[in-house]
Parts: sequence; C-alpha cells; structure tokens
Amino acid sequence: MVRTDLLAMLVPAMPLLGTLIIGFGRRKFTANTAGGLATVLVALSFVLTLVLFLGHHGERHIVHLFNWITVGEMQIPFTFQIDALSLWMMLFITGVAALIHGYSIGYMHDDPRVATFFAQLNLFTFAMLLLVMGSNFLVTFIGWEGVGLCSYLLIGFWYKTPEFNYAGRKAFVMNRIGDVGMVLAMALLFLQFGTLNYAPVMDKAGLMAPNNPVVITATLLLFLGATGKSAQIPLLTWLPDAMAGPTPVSALIHAATMVTAGVFLVVRSSVLYELAPYTQQIVLWVGVATALFGATVGLFQNDIKKVLAYSTVSQLGYMFAAMGVGAYSAGMFHVTTHAFFKALLFLGAGSVIHALGGEQDIRKMGGLKNTTRTTYVTFLVATLAIAGIPPLSGFFSKDSIMAHAFQESPLAYALLVFAAMLTALYMFRLLFLTFFGTYRGKAHPHESPRVMTVPLVVLAVLSAVGGVLNIPHIFGGNEWLKHHLITAADGVANEDLALSAATEYGLMALSTILVVLTIWYAWTLYGKKTTLDGEPADMPFLKRLIAKRWMLDELYAYLFERPFSWLSRHLFTLGEAKVAVPVTVGTGEAAQGFGEWLRKLQNGNTSFYLFGMMLGMVLLLLITLLSA
Amino acid sequence: MALLALVLIPLIAASLLLAMRPAAATARGLALVSTLLTLAVVLWLWYTWAGTAVTAYSLDWVPAWGMRFTIGYGGIGLLMLVLTGVLFPFIIGTGYKQPVGDAALVNALLLYSQAALFGVFMAQNAFLFYIFFELSLIPIFFLLLRWGGEHKRAITIRFFLYTLLGGLALLFSIAYATLQTPAPHSADFSALAALQLPAATQQWLFWTLFLAFAIKMPIFPFHSWQPETYTMAPTQGTMVLSAIMGKMGIYGIVVFLFTIVPIGTAYWQHLVIGLSLFGAVYAAVIAFRQDDFKRLVAYSSMSHLGLMCAALFTWNAYGISGGLYQTFAHGVLMVCLFYIAGMMEQRVGGNDLARMGGLKTRMPRFALLFMLIVGNAISMPLTQSFPGEWLMFNGLWQLNPWIALAGVVLIVLGAIYMLYVYQRVLLGPDRDVAVADADGEEHFMLVPLIAIIFLVGLFPNLVLQLVDAPVQQLLNTFTSLH
Repeated sequence: MVRTDLLAMLVPAMPLLGTLIIGFGRRKFTANTAGGLATVLVALSFVLTLVLFLGHHGERHIVHLFNWITVGEMQIPFTFQIDALSLWMMLFITGVAALIHGYSIGYMHDDPRVATFFAQLNLFTFAMLLLVMGSNFLVTFIGWEGVGLCSYLLIGFWYKTPEFNYAGRKAFVMNRIGDVGMVLAMALLFLQFGTLNYAPVMDKAGLMAPNNPVVITATLLLFLGATGKSAQIPLLTWLPDAMAGPTPVSALIHAATMVTAGVFLVVRSSVLYELAPYTQQIVLWVGVATALFGATVGLFQNDIKKVLAYSTVSQLGYMFAAMGVGAYSAGMFHVTTHAFFKALLFLGAGSVIHALGGEQDIRKMGGLKNTTRTTYVTFLVATLAIAGIPPLSGFFSKDSIMAHAFQESPLAYALLVFAAMLTALYMFRLLFLTFFGTYRGKAHPHESPRVMTVPLVVLAVLSAVGGVLNIPHIFGGNEWLKHHLITAADGVANEDLALSAATEYGLMALSTILVVLTIWYAWTLYGKKTTLDGEPADMPFLKRLIAKRWMLDELYAYLFERPFSWLSRHLFTLGEAKVAVPVTVGTGEAAQGFGEWLRKLQNGNTSFYLFGMMLGMVLLLLITLLSA
Repeated sequence: MALLALVLIPLIAASLLLAMRPAAATARGLALVSTLLTLAVVLWLWYTWAGTAVTAYSLDWVPAWGMRFTIGYGGIGLLMLVLTGVLFPFIIGTGYKQPVGDAALVNALLLYSQAALFGVFMAQNAFLFYIFFELSLIPIFFLLLRWGGEHKRAITIRFFLYTLLGGLALLFSIAYATLQTPAPHSADFSALAALQLPAATQQWLFWTLFLAFAIKMPIFPFHSWQPETYTMAPTQGTMVLSAIMGKMGIYGIVVFLFTIVPIGTAYWQHLVIGLSLFGAVYAAVIAFRQDDFKRLVAYSSMSHLGLMCAALFTWNAYGISGGLYQTFAHGVLMVCLFYIAGMMEQRVGGNDLARMGGLKTRMPRFALLFMLIVGNAISMPLTQSFPGEWLMFNGLWQLNPWIALAGVVLIVLGAIYMLYVYQRVLLGPDRDVAVADADGEEHFMLVPLIAIIFLVGLFPNLVLQLVDAPVQQLLNTFTSLH
C-alpha cells in the first residue's frame, strides 16, 4: 500500500517538477533540452501509471496527503483516489500527453518562448492528473480550474495578437460560467451529505429516492459545469476560438484530455445521474443537439483546425448522449478512442501546417498525399476511425453509443446516425481537399521531421486497433473496458444492452452503409478538385445560417457581451459619477458648518497634528501605567 | 508584555524618526527593522496560541464612564494582529522602490498608524477600541493630504468627513450601550456582550454601529469615498487603507454587532446581505471597463469586501469563518495588486491603462509575477483566496441557494475584469517604449508575498484554526438566542 501511495504521488509530481525546473530555468534551456525534459517526465508519469495499473485489481485505494480545509463539520482532505476509473484516465492522459510533448519538440522548435511552452504544457498535465485523481469534488475542482488556467495561457500563448488573447479570455470566462454550476453543486452536496468525498457521497446518495429534488438539482448543476469544460450547448463557442493556440495544445487540451473532463465528472457521479432520469433526458438531448451542431458547422469551415474543432464539439456531443442514456462505459470508450484519433488528426493538421509554413486554409492546400506521405497515411487512418469504418476504433465506440441510444430513444439514434453521416462528409471533404487533387498554394510542402511523425504513427496504430479494448459480445468479445470500469462507477452495472443480436447487427450495418455512401458522395464532390470556387453568393437561408455557425457567437455578443460592457460603462458614468459621488459631496456640504469648525483645527501644520497625536498616545500610556 | 510591545515598538521607532530626522536610507531601514520586530512578535503569538482567549491587562482608566485599559486577544483578534504584523514590513518595503516625499516623515506616519492598528485589534474595551480606531486614520490623512495625487485636498476632506460621521455614530453607540450596563458601568467587551438589550433598541442601535463599519469597509451604498481615495492616495497609504483598515469594519461587525446587538443583526440580516452582494456585483461590473489601474483595483477590493460582509451575516460556521479567513487573504492580495499598480505607474508615468499594453516581451519576469497574483485574485484553487471563497459560498448556500447564486456569479465577473486588465497591462503587439523588467528589489517584495499566497492556499488551516473555536462560540450564543 505504501508503494501504491508513493507511485500515486509521483505520477502528478513528475510534470509538476517539469513545470518548476523548466519554468525557472526557461532562459537557460534550449528547445531540445526543455522539450526533452518535459517529455521524459511525462513519459515517466506514464510508466508509473502503468505500474499502478498492472498492480491494480479492482480495488479503491485512497492516498492521503494532508488535511486541506477543516472548519466546523467540514473536513476536506487532500487525497487521491486510485481506482479503475482514475487509473484509466491517468493512463491515456499521460500516454497521449507524452506523445504530444514529444511531437511539440519538433513543432515548437523555432519558437523563442519554447521553454515557457513546455513548462505550461507540463503544468497542464499536472492539473489534468489532479482532476482525475482527486478523491473528492474539491480536489477534482483544483485540477478543473487548473486545466482551465493552462488552457487560457496556452490559447493566448502568442500574446501579441489581440484576437488570441480574447480567445483565451473567452475560454476561461465561459468555463467559469460552468464553474458556477460546479461550485453550487458542491455546496449543495456538502449540505446534504456532510462530505465531498466521492465514496461516501455516492453511498449516501444511493439510498435516496430517484428523481428527488436534491439529486436533480445537483446533477443539473454538475452538468452545467460539464457543458463549460466540454463545450456543450450552450457554452460551446469558446472551443473553436481556442484553436488560436499552438496546434499541439489543440490536440492535447482541446481534443484529447481537458474537454473530456465533463464526461469524466458525469461518470464519476454516475450514481447521482442514475437517480435523476429527468437530468439524463436533458443530458441526452443536449448531447444529440451538440453532435448535430458541431457536425453541421464543420461542413462549412475552411480552416483545417476549425473543422477539427467543430468535429470535437460534435464528438463530445456523442459522449454526452452516451451519458444521457446511462451508457457510461460506452462513453468512456469513446473518450479513449477519440483521444487517439482526434489527437492524431490535430497532430496531422499540425504537420500539414508545418509543411506549408503556417497555412491553415484548406482551400490553399491539395495534393499533399505525395509530398507528406506519413502524415497522409496516418491522417487517413484517423479519418476512417472517426467516420466509424470497421474495424477501426471509432467504429466500435461510436456503435456502442448508438446502440444504447437506440434502446433508449430511436429518434436520438436516428439523429446520431445523421450526425455520423455528416461527420463522414466533413471529414472526407477535409481529407480530399487537403491531400487529394493538385496543390493550390504557393509554399513548398515537405514532410515533418521524425520527432513529429513518430507520434503520428503510434497514434495511428492506437486509432486503428483501439477497438479491441471493448469488443462487444456479438463479435465474441468480452467488453474488457466495461468490466474494468464496473468496479469504479456503479452506473456501469446498469448498462446492459437488451437488444437482440439481429438488431445490433442491423443497426451496425445500417450506419456503416450510410457512412460509406456518404464517403462516396464526398468523393464525387471534392475528390478530384484542382481548383476551388468561392462560396456561392446565393446560398439558401439554412446553409448560410449554418455557415455562420448558427449565429451563436453573434447572439451571445448581442445578448451578453455588449449589454455587459454598456452596463459597466454606464454604472460608472451614471451610477457612480452622477449619483454616488454627488450624494457624498452633498453630505459633505450639509456638514459644512461642522466642517468650518473643523477647519480651524486643521491649520495644515503637520508637526502640530503629530504632536497632538503623540501627546494623546503618551497620555494614554501614562494614565495606564499610573493607575496600575 | 508582548502585546504592549506591539504598540510600543512602532511608537518608539516612529518617534525616533521624527526626533532624529535621519536620511532616507536610515529612516527606511529603521522602519523596516521595527516592523520586522513586530512581525516576530505576532508570529510568536501565533505559534504559542493555545486556542483560548488571553487578557493581558485590565486597568482602570476613567471608571465613571466604564473606560478601562483592557487589552488582550482571542483567535479573531489574533488573526487581525497577524494580518497587521505580516503586511506592514511589505508596506514599509514598498517605500524602497516607490518612495514618496520625506522618508523619515512618511515612515513615521506609517508606523504611528501601525501602532494604532495593533491597538484596535487588541483593545478589549469599546472606548479603547474607539480611540485606536480613530487614531489609526490620522497619520493616513496626513499622508494623503501631503502626498496624494490630483484633487488630494477635496478627496481627503470628503473621506475625513465620511469616516468622522461613522466614528461619531460609533462613539454614540458605545456610550449608549455602556450606560445600559449595570453600575459601575463598564465598556469592556465582556460586559457589553453580557447586555441583553430589548429587541426594539437593538434594531436601531444596529444601524448606528453598522454605519461606522459599513463606511470603513466600505459597503454599498457607503462606498463613494473609496474609489477616488484609493486612486489618488500614495501606494503605501492605499495599502494601509485597503489591506488593513477596511478589515476594521469586518472585525467590528464580529466584535460589536454580533455580541451587543445579536437580535438587531438577525433582524437586519437579509437587508445587509442584499446590500453587500448588490454592491459586490455592482463593483465587479464597474471594474471591467475602468481605464485607471488603481481605480480598477479599488473597485475589485470593494467587490471582495461586499462578499465578505455578506458571508459574515449568514451566521453560520462557513460564512463567518470564510469571511474572517478572507480578511487575511484579501489583505495580502491588496498589497500585491497595489504594489503591481505602483510598479506600472512608475514605469509608464501614470495609472492610465491606455498607456500600458504590449509590454510583456520587455517584462517577462514581471508578467509571471503578475500572472501568479492574478491567479490569486480570481481565486484559483491552491492560492489563498480559494478556501475563503469556497467557505463563503457554502455559508451563503446554507442560508439560501439563490443568495449563493448571486455570490458565485462573482467568480465569473472577477475572471472577466482581472484577465482583461492583465491583457491591457501586458499583452498585445509590442510597444516601442523603454520599460525595465521587475528588478531584484521588486522580487524581494513580491516573491515572499507570492510564497504566502501558495503557503496559505495549500494549508489554509494555519489561518482557519485561529477562528474555528471563536466562531463556534459565537454560534453558540446565536443558538441560545432562539
């Protein structure tokens, strides 16, 4: 047990150490030393996690560091919880993070602040580990806020561009709106259960009646937090803007890890969600709506990273749809495979951007499959995976979610299938426009260095074979991931699929055929493009609306940003300058008679006042001492 | 003896400075040594704190009026002594890089103020409290009148009249309450706390007492002296006002209102919470579009204090402990932020944010220090502000979830204005001006402060253990009321 404690503490300690060493020595480190050190430390974290993971047999182990906040009845310890869920998250976080750190050595090589970059990336990994390792809501919240701050810092990493700074602030503030829900949920849970430790909260909650107001309120508030961190409707508009950050940041933070924190939180609290079918309905439909939102907008984006960003929004929608139908392990499965293929897509996009000297507009790409061979092949694997082509990983995870959705609501299933077709369409549009046809730009494309392509290959292998983690029974599998997670999240136990084998095969065949047809359709549209026409001026209304991202940004600007700014200005110019201050001055004038009298004392001679004051103090002391 | 030393050390040092009028370097050195000595004393008191209230002296003074020279401290008083002791070396230290005027005189004024502030927090007699309460301000008035910025005279006089009004109300309330004690009258806190005034009396007496504290913090709508005063005051004066003097209001609420007029407090509880939270949100909204760095920090201070005042009035363990804990965290934060503002003022020649921006490339060290402080200002967990806010939100929630919602909105507003000001000070396209990065002396100030931020953030129990028992006692009195 002592060994487990030590290992568990070392896992987050590694990246923290990296932050401190690289952060303090940032002026002395070269790109390669800073990047190498950061990568090695995260890789060590991965190895340590692996040791923990292999020695783990379904138990829940609490690692106590110290008592953090103790007041009255409130005792919040700083503790980690090592169980199947946290270990699984730690494993893929450190694994993917190590690959992306390594990739960044190449990608960020020429940036003058490369050491700062690695210090912040390490700090992010540390915070993300705290988030998943915490054994109570408040320790999770440390990580939750920490990843938010790192996200802010890294989105605005190139701080000379005001738009990037705005994007960073936007991300942080929208996350904070979600955090209002988190904080209130924690206050509610503490009042109700007298503790915030996961185990006792879940035990006590398990005794409550379903759909009682406490559980419904708590789950809704937690879900508000999740919508912020995981970019769900309504708090999603920050994620596409977050693409302002360096591409490895998009891959690590805004695709593979941080944005799945909301899903993790729901799985962690699955007992609560199981007791709140009302909330589950909301989660399901928000998830489905977000899946459609992201997939539709993705069709009209021309920035390679923006396409992927909306794709992430959409895929997160799938994960929340899974949460909504109580398919926790299916959701976690998709979290994992998505981490592989979406990180790969972003890193591939980064490789393309690198190859083209910073170009991100897919209209100025094309024909890159010959010049950037490795990038192309790995990107193709990831695209097939996200589109859900068997037997790649995305097929299994997405199919698992859709089967559960069908069981709960055929309408949700139909919409998710439609979103899957859109996914295939925008992804293959991206693939064809980038790698097929002829090159439409002016740069001289070249393949990226080894340090960047090796992570691509590793992730491509994982994206291809990741499905084996959770092969369903109908294919003779044993749903390993589900049985792994069942020891940690009670909700997983209720997750059985009651469909007949024939129905399952039918659903799979249907979605696969539709997706393949869509890919063929995409090929006819974009497969052989040599030139690209601009957007037609007379787009139908719906198309224009989608191309403008459903006008959500504009809506928020008019509803919130501008009124807030106006209010801030006018509360000062009217409320303060015209009301509050004059009232005070008026009070002052009313007291003028009194003031005149005072003025006689106030002769402006500082020494006189000081003398008076000293006299007073001395007298005071004298009286005290004499009367003693 | 240790308590008397806290008053005497700064008093003697200040008098020496006035008498000898040494050169600037000597004056600052002497003042710094004196504050470090008091720091050692408060740390010793903290270390030896056994969890029980201590009465050091109780001597007759003017027995006819119930005035006694009673000094001592409980956990809450000790917290305030610690706050004063910890922050003053930094306030004096600010004078090294950001000097104003005649060093001997300025430091003497600051030390007189410190002596009186220690007095406020150790007084156990209401009259004694009142005297120190008023005395502490006088040196600051001179500081403002002599070395303030634009309109210093008008602003200082307004401030003076405002606080005088509050002070007189306080004096009247103390005298009234003392006369209600059984003869021979006593204004000792213990005697006043034993009073059981009729409910009708408590309802009006509440306001005459509260007025003084509401102005001091300040709480909406008694705040209008504050933004202008903080903006024009020299940095050290603003630090004393915002980091410590505002806390006399918090302290006064707990010591006077909760013990002398508990029924009145219960009666007006919701109104005060409403005003405080409204003011907190109001100030946070205003802070966003401020163009003056110091005034922005002034509004943010008002916002934080509004939340603290609301939390105290929740009357549960989490609200009161959180509010008291936050006096410490907020004090440290204010010294940090006004120091940062002072650094920028020196470098660009004013507080106007329009003159700043695009400086990060030239000031990378400063940017890191500032970012760490911003992290504290927006209550990132593991900084000292977080445990306080978390406790206060719990206090509010236990009173009423909707009130809690109004409080928690502040975490969004705080992020909005703090990140925006960080951007306006440092980020954006490089500006072609020669500004120096933070130097060694400035690191000497900010690094220990940031160390405190993380130390207390990691181990908030260091501070919370001071207030835990006294707050439980207070709550027991409340429950016995019902």
